[in-house]
Amino acid sequence: MQTRELHYHAPETLEEAVGLLGRYGAGAAPLAGGTDLVPALKHGVLRARHLVSLGRIPGFREISMTPSGGLAIGAFATLHAVADSPLVRSTCPALAEAAAQAGSPLLRNRGTLGGNLCLDTRCWYYNQTEAWRAARPLCQKAGGEQCYVNQKQNRCVALFSADTPAVLVAVGASVALAGPGGERTLPVEALYSGDGLAPLAKNPAEIATLVTVPSWPGRRGAAYLKWSARESIDFPILGAAAAVTTDPGGRLDRVRVALTGVDTSPVRLPKFEAALTGRAAPREDDSELARAAAGEIGTLFLSEAVPHKRRLAGFLAVQAVARAAAAAGRLP
Amino acid sequence: MKHLIQLSVNGQTHDLVVRPERTLLDVLRDDLGLTGAKRGCDLGACGACAVLLDGRPVNSCLTLAVEAGGHEIVTVEGLAAAGELHPVQEAFVEHGAVQCGFCTPGMVLVTKALLDERPEAADAEILEALSGNICRCTGYVKILDAVRTAARRIQETSPCPTTRS
Repeated sequence: MQTRELHYHAPETLEEAVGLLGRYGAGAAPLAGGTDLVPALKHGVLRARHLVSLGRIPGFREISMTPSGGLAIGAFATLHAVADSPLVRSTCPALAEAAAQAGSPLLRNRGTLGGNLCLDTRCWYYNQTEAWRAARPLCQKAGGEQCYVNQKQNRCVALFSADTPAVLVAVGASVALAGPGGERTLPVEALYSGDGLAPLAKNPAEIATLVTVPSWPGRRGAAYLKWSARESIDFPILGAAAAVTTDPGGRLDRVRVALTGVDTSPVRLPKFEAALTGRAAPREDDSELARAAAGEIGTLFLSEAVPHKRRLAGFLAVQAVARAAAAAGRLP
Repeated sequence: MKHLIQLSVNGQTHDLVVRPERTLLDVLRDDLGLTGAKRGCDLGACGACAVLLDGRPVNSCLTLAVEAGGHEIVTVEGLAAAGELHPVQEAFVEHGAVQCGFCTPGMVLVTKALLDERPEAADAEILEALSGNICRCTGYVKILDAVRTAARRIQETSPCPTTRS
């Protein structure tokens, strides 16, 4: 697989990096672990010709507790560091589990949390070699006119495919961005545009620097369930994250559910969440609840043959809530 | 534009001039003649290209060479010391864990990295550590046997024996 000529920049400060990204605009891309960027380069779908490496910038890799008992995770921390961190494992084990299930051990030694947050959307017709894609006109995401999956509306439906954001959305985490206009913090949920073509609702010159997981009061638990072809390496076909608090009687107080792999951005299920609030924790195999959750998911555009995806998503959502509730019973 | 980089590979420093799009795999194989790391899928999904970067296994096919400067790289060629095979290599040979051999350098390096950190690693950890390395030939059984044997031997010869979990 041939790659085209590139320009490589290795800034030593965040400001320098932001400046370079701003200067080259759409012609630049930030390079963190490279586990998504380099394949895109090899496939000939990365349009940027200026790589702005973040690797020489010191800092932004630390994992620590916030004063209120939440987690502050540098966006440049590798997924391995997040998965392995005693702090993350004790404070938000679901995040450690999601990080531990992203990719493979080798990929996790390079891929970063920020990179996973900013992972491009994926599609069977897009993430292919140039030779494969040459069999038909370019798809929309690759710069063409056609969406081969959503042919009726001809709108790109490339799928959100990262693991950690599902948990981060469920626990209400926020992300700090550094950009040409300064720094800002927004809920992780607000980072996503819902546009398969340009999935991140941020200035391309903005760099994620810090992810903050808030502390949840009381009896709280979270869970992440991943459904993929194999237990390693593969992106999620589906991922379901849930974060709940329970009252002393075990009834669900606060419920947040986020799915990955079903749409162009992480998906919440507000009706499902409302239906669960105030009731006892569901059984993992509650098929009525599963049907309700499944029904709340919008139109599924499947580029791969997974006809049972909707039904599966419903069950995974219920399982995630059940396991989060079980975890809430265990945390001190 | 080409970049001057300094790569430290198996304890030796190399000054190289590379284009930014070249991967560490390209440079190891084509510039340094270290063909132990293999181009399998070229996308980070098979682990045949695995090398150690500061002691941690990474896909060299996804690591740009310009990013690898300033790190310690170990390839399979760097394991045998003074003509003696590394215990992991020995165990692989003894157990018949090498068939076509294409996955082997990656498997061996990931195993070495695991046992360097966790010589007491039991099956669950071993399976997890190797889950990014694919083998078409062996069915994995002999590879796992080799890893267990290597773990046992490394523990037995370690100056500070640890309890096997």
